[in-house]
Amino acid sequence: MDSEAVKNAIIKQVQLESNMNNAKQLIEACSAAAPFLSNCFQRCVPKPGSSLSSSESSCATSCMEKYMAAWNLVNASYVKRIQQEVNSHGFQT
Amino acid sequence: MDSVPNISPNELERLSDKDKAELRQFIGNETQRAKIQTQTHSMTEICWTKCITANSKGNKLDSSEQSCLGNCVDRFLDLNLATLKHLSSMRN
Repeated sequence: MDSEAVKNAIIKQVQLESNMNNAKQLIEACSAAAPFLSNCFQRCVPKPGSSLSSSESSCATSCMEKYMAAWNLVNASYVKRIQQEVNSHGFQT
Repeated sequence: MDSVPNISPNELERLSDKDKAELRQFIGNETQRAKIQTQTHSMTEICWTKCITANSKGNKLDSSEQSCLGNCVDRFLDLNLATLKHLSSMRN
């Protein structure tokens, strides 16, 4: 491999790991593993039966989609705020 | 994961100075992005609990949920900054 190929391989690897990590955190937040109250499992399966009903699973699907929409909105607001802080007086995280 | 080739240490030696600098920049950006994403995850958890009620239906956010989420982020960061300011004033 030449320099360019090594560089591109590293970039690809980092991006892949970063995306996987992000998706993992999202799945954890939407699933029952997270202890906080209003996640999709708590909301959609209040009394677990012998199998997942179709209404429970469609509730979970829309809950997850809504959670992702909320994530995107929170991310956009956060990035906007960071930019405002940087513009007004320099910002340190 | 299988499409990514393993990079051995001696292949790293082959990086040109220009590519090394580019990679450093790239890693710096990615690190920053990862920090922001992690913070986004925790704020989404906090603000979801506050803004999305248990009887909220459907897969889209309504307008009051949207404005609540936006305000939640801004007030959370206000408090964050105010805390930092207060802490640094206590140090003096």
